[in-house]
Amino acid sequence: MSETKRKKGKAVLVVGGGAAGIRASLDLAEMGHKVYLCDRKPSLGGVLVHTDRWFPDNHCGMCKMLPIFSRDDKSQFCLRSGLVHPNIELLPMTEFDSVTGEAGDFTVTVKSAPAGVNPELCVGCGTCNSVCPVEVPDEFNEGLSQRKAIYLRTPWLPSNSYVIDWAACTKCGECVAHCPTKAINLSPQGSSKKISVGSIILSTGIEQFNTEAASQYGHGRYPNVLTSIELERLLSQSGPTEGVMLRPSDKKVPQSVAFLQCVGSRDMKRNYCSFACCMYALKEAMLIKKLYPQVEVEIFYMDMRVFGKGYHRYYEQAKAAGIKFTRCRVPLVKQDFQNGDLIITTAGEDNSLKQRRFNMLVLSVGQVPSPLFQVLADPGGLGIKLNQHGFCQTGEFTPVETSTPGVFVCGSASGPKNITDSMIGASAAAGKASHYAISVEWPENGGPSNGAGTDFEIDAPAKTAVLLCDCGNQISSIIDMEDLLDASRALPSVVYAERAPYLCMEDALASIRPKMDHHGANRVVLASCAPFLTRRLGASIDLDPSLIQVVNLREEVAWPNQENPVAATDKARALISMAVERLRLQQPAVMLHIAMNQSALVVGSGLAAMVAARTISDFGYEVHIVSREPELGGRARNIRTTLSGSDVPAFLEDLRRTLANNPDIHQYKGVEIATVEGHAGNFHVILTSTVADPSGKDLATSSLEVGSIVLAMGADELRPTEYLYGQNDKVITQTELEARLNTGDLGDVKSVAMVQCVGSRDEDRPYCGRICCAEALLNALRIKEANPHAEVVIFYRDMMSYGLMEADYKRAREKGVLFVRYDPERKPEVKAEGGKLRVTVRETALPRNDGNIVMEPDLLVLSVPLVPRDQTALAAILGLELTEDGFFKEAEVKFRPVDCVRDGIFICGLAHSPRGMAESITQAQAAGQRAASIMAKGRLMSGRTVSEVKARWCAGCQMCVDICPYNARVMDESEGVVMVLEALCQGCGTCVVSCPSGAAGLRGLSDKQIMSMVDAAL
Amino acid sequence: MAKTVGFSVSDGSVTAALRQLFKQLFEKKLVDAMLVPLELPSRENVVQSLVMRPEALDAANPLAPVLPVSTASIISKITKQAPSAQKMAVVARPCEMRAIIELAKLKQVSLDNILRISVDCYGTYSVPEYKEFAKSAGVTGDEFMKGVKSGETDRPEAALREACRVCEYPYPLNVDITIGLFGTDFTKEISLMANSAAGEAVLNGLGLAEVSGGNRQAAIDKLVAERTRQRDEVFADTLAESKGLEKLTSIFAPCIGCHNCRDVCPVCYCRECVFDSDTFCFEADRYLSWASRKGALRVPTDTLLFHLTRMNHMGTSCVGCGLCQEACPNDVPVFRFFRLIGAQVQPLFEYVPGRDIEEPLPLTTFKEDEFEKVGFE
Repeated sequence: MSETKRKKGKAVLVVGGGAAGIRASLDLAEMGHKVYLCDRKPSLGGVLVHTDRWFPDNHCGMCKMLPIFSRDDKSQFCLRSGLVHPNIELLPMTEFDSVTGEAGDFTVTVKSAPAGVNPELCVGCGTCNSVCPVEVPDEFNEGLSQRKAIYLRTPWLPSNSYVIDWAACTKCGECVAHCPTKAINLSPQGSSKKISVGSIILSTGIEQFNTEAASQYGHGRYPNVLTSIELERLLSQSGPTEGVMLRPSDKKVPQSVAFLQCVGSRDMKRNYCSFACCMYALKEAMLIKKLYPQVEVEIFYMDMRVFGKGYHRYYEQAKAAGIKFTRCRVPLVKQDFQNGDLIITTAGEDNSLKQRRFNMLVLSVGQVPSPLFQVLADPGGLGIKLNQHGFCQTGEFTPVETSTPGVFVCGSASGPKNITDSMIGASAAAGKASHYAISVEWPENGGPSNGAGTDFEIDAPAKTAVLLCDCGNQISSIIDMEDLLDASRALPSVVYAERAPYLCMEDALASIRPKMDHHGANRVVLASCAPFLTRRLGASIDLDPSLIQVVNLREEVAWPNQENPVAATDKARALISMAVERLRLQQPAVMLHIAMNQSALVVGSGLAAMVAARTISDFGYEVHIVSREPELGGRARNIRTTLSGSDVPAFLEDLRRTLANNPDIHQYKGVEIATVEGHAGNFHVILTSTVADPSGKDLATSSLEVGSIVLAMGADELRPTEYLYGQNDKVITQTELEARLNTGDLGDVKSVAMVQCVGSRDEDRPYCGRICCAEALLNALRIKEANPHAEVVIFYRDMMSYGLMEADYKRAREKGVLFVRYDPERKPEVKAEGGKLRVTVRETALPRNDGNIVMEPDLLVLSVPLVPRDQTALAAILGLELTEDGFFKEAEVKFRPVDCVRDGIFICGLAHSPRGMAESITQAQAAGQRAASIMAKGRLMSGRTVSEVKARWCAGCQMCVDICPYNARVMDESEGVVMVLEALCQGCGTCVVSCPSGAAGLRGLSDKQIMSMVDAAL
Repeated sequence: MAKTVGFSVSDGSVTAALRQLFKQLFEKKLVDAMLVPLELPSRENVVQSLVMRPEALDAANPLAPVLPVSTASIISKITKQAPSAQKMAVVARPCEMRAIIELAKLKQVSLDNILRISVDCYGTYSVPEYKEFAKSAGVTGDEFMKGVKSGETDRPEAALREACRVCEYPYPLNVDITIGLFGTDFTKEISLMANSAAGEAVLNGLGLAEVSGGNRQAAIDKLVAERTRQRDEVFADTLAESKGLEKLTSIFAPCIGCHNCRDVCPVCYCRECVFDSDTFCFEADRYLSWASRKGALRVPTDTLLFHLTRMNHMGTSCVGCGLCQEACPNDVPVFRFFRLIGAQVQPLFEYVPGRDIEEPLPLTTFKEDEFEKVGFE
């Protein structure tokens, strides 16, 4: 549908505030759309708030989702404590109820649960919590600790509003009586409201598998049997044991821990793989080993599904770290009632039963569809189609689209996923949803507002107001407020200081600015509670944020020093002096704009490149597709169908035609990139012809000016060197087999052997090919379809039929395809004898014939991985890094999977890592959306705190250039000094640390300010 | 080692042989210019000089045991604005070469068209002691090498500088050409070793016969072992003398803030030092408030801060030349502290300053899992 004809609504609704929902909302908000983000829980973050540390580096990184550009307009706080974006309206404790209308013009009724605590009035003092007599298990800690009936859902920052657990609340009224701000109402009404949106994104996530349905493992009966999420809580600093791994029965550190994989997935009822559990089990096992090297950790599994980028390496690291891996089923778990240990009965591949004893057992529980989907699928509601497992149905070529136009899906709602794939889907869905909504931020003229901060008088001397909050008596009962008032008034530049019982209450807030104006104050120190809350209040003062300083008197001073009021008052005085001093020397914030090119470069010729180009052009931007190859299509040209039976040639042809017919898409074939200069918004790209013939006309040195770049260069199939490949014509690769199947000249083949992991997951290429198992399943099924009597045997190491592909694995088994595991230490042996192939495999499951299976197949098919092209030169041109395996490195594995470290460059498809067709399409849509998004504003704006260069002192050593994580510093060769690209600078200050000359400084946080603050503190 | 050739010494004079070698480099058009220490007419000192006419090399004295100024500082002055367009040989000691590499990493030196020639170094005297030494000696370089041969480099009028006595890198690291003295009978023949393609091309151009490395490594090992032993003694003394803030303060108390140590430091490269600016000058009431808080305030307030800041900036790049200590008018043992701290810090990053141009400066590298435990247990 063309852009002009499509109906557009005023906003987008995102249902579900987990990581995928947050990502989709942020992406939409950054494109200038108004977003409603609803979640039935009182706080955001979904399942992620229960976990702290993630693959590969064991750090939390949710904040990496936050926008890079024009960041001063948004919250830059921990996403666990809250999300603030001017374009996002949060609807907590709110559920989707019903909908009318159509794509571009939906009216959605959302229902909000009765809120017992008014968030506008709640100051987070916690008095209610301390008087509440009810104690129930805390679901935040998976029931491993207790909480009250009125409580904080997450402990990250106490300034979140308290909520009431109605199921537990006895309505005794203690809290109401004690609440100092009268914020509690024990008989509130729920509410519902209608919102008008153009499109809807479903990011409703998953439920954790309920272990009651797998009672043989004893979870719930035996205290030392935990789920993986419960273990996350045990290992968390914010958990019930403050990060010390104590087993529940005796509060001792267990000396042996076993993990059971596939609990609640890959079974009779749930014929899918939960995608993420192998990797989170590995991560948790590694965490345990790191914290407690002496603890024995063993993982019992069926297949280790380490199919993603860097996963196999991580698996090898886990083995090297001493984690044991045992391939077996575990039919039974019993508890030793003497000491709480668990006795595990294992059934090995040879069906031998063994008993093993562990101090603690962790169940890697699977993902099950959210029950919410039944509501959403209701024909009276959204009417979206679900698949056989109860997840949202999507198409292979439309991976984020539901069956209802204008309704999109991301995250695990459409099938189990990990964080990375959820993020990719979320960006793709945001891009799609964006077309059904107008931009509210820069509606027609394409230009954003200038932002706040225009009321700063550059030459005005500092006149500071100091406002102290008593927080009822939370602060004033500890700190001597009168002493603090006197001290504040005596500070240089302070024109007035005063106390308020509650600074955050509306009347107090409303009086701040008039009083400041009355005293001629142009800066203000707010000394109250946590910065998150106070900043939010600060926003209502209508003052440049760099002129507001926040001192956290409550959480940082009063509460921790209840026993020592004198020290608390001293500390408060020091903190206020520092804040006043910082403001006194505050330089005016100069926000700079950089105009940008609103066109994109897409590098590559395959499916990912084509989809990315189409995605960007859907936003109305010009796209240049540059590739070495003479035609578009890439590897997809060899593919006829997929496991889900999609018609690939038709899709490809449609895509090719769309691109060719679009006058805003320019294709440059047989060229490559010679140089890339500039930065996000303004890349200057020079292309050279790869064709030796000089009749390649002016292409020899054409140049492009683009705002963003998408890398989608593809990869090639490995040419194997093993198993007589190239020496015997009965030995072919999966791609060659596929070609024969497509043309129908397979011949009279009665017996086919396939060998998986040929040239992958070994020392040369320690990564999984990810799609080879799917290829093998597809081709095996096609052979069986053509000739049901043909014998097909797949020799494998771990079947990587992750996610919903598990059903295809089962289908292949049902069709009679035989799966025989081999040990990488004893690979299959292949010999050619008298015109016949002879394959000998040491079989691990049921040893017979001296433990060997011998087969004489008509065809031996090798499953080889995709190998990256040599991208060293291009990586150097782009200033990007490659992984050890030669793929392009993303900015961050989990939360920024399609961004590159150099802003404005995005990556998708096989240049990123091996992936299936639907996955490549999603990723290309995500990369396209991200590339288009940064251009939506028409210009880039710098932050208030940005780095600067004092040219007189710069010796040009360029250490700052080397270490700047954002490529915001470049050498000005003509002047011999470094200069700053303000729009890219994130104000991190790394350059300041590296510069010995003092030439690098931070505008808004100068050395003088810091020294003065230190001095004020002492 | 790529290629080693022999260069014969006649009349037992290594210096004469080196003068001959340098002249050949010009004659065979292997270099256009040479930065090399030339003896002053007074013979009281040698000075790095940029030679373009080979006859000037009659005064070349590269083995004269003195290091007035580091060649690194000089080559930075010459090449920072624009690289040399002509092929320029630089003859300098190993510590100077290492400083040159540090400066090249810091973009303060351009190595374009530079041929680095370094010598095995037995150490140097201080400038005043060298002056005394030169009074009695003939050609100082040869005279000193006689002492080396008889095992007496320390003399009544001149003893090796402390920095040289404790130096564990007396041999050049990754230069283009090494003039090998260790393990040779340098009164008869010295060896020339190429450590780079450029160096090898020059040796090929000289057309000399290849020789074996001889027992160079054994000689190096022996010398390094002895110097490491002396180094560790100095470290132990320094630690004992400086334990506690009180002792540390009194050691640095004689500092007059002349900043000579910084000026002679070959790797200290700022265009204008922050300590020469008014960054550490404050309003009078600021001083008074400090003084009132403490009762008494030592002024100027930035004396120790200056040294700590310099150490913070240069600790990982310190090549241990010791010129800082030579330049101090009040004998503050600056070098001892830089070496002591450098020996602790540099190994943490597996970093040897000046070892290899390809090794990134520690500050510019980041490893996810390093220094997980910091501070005191």
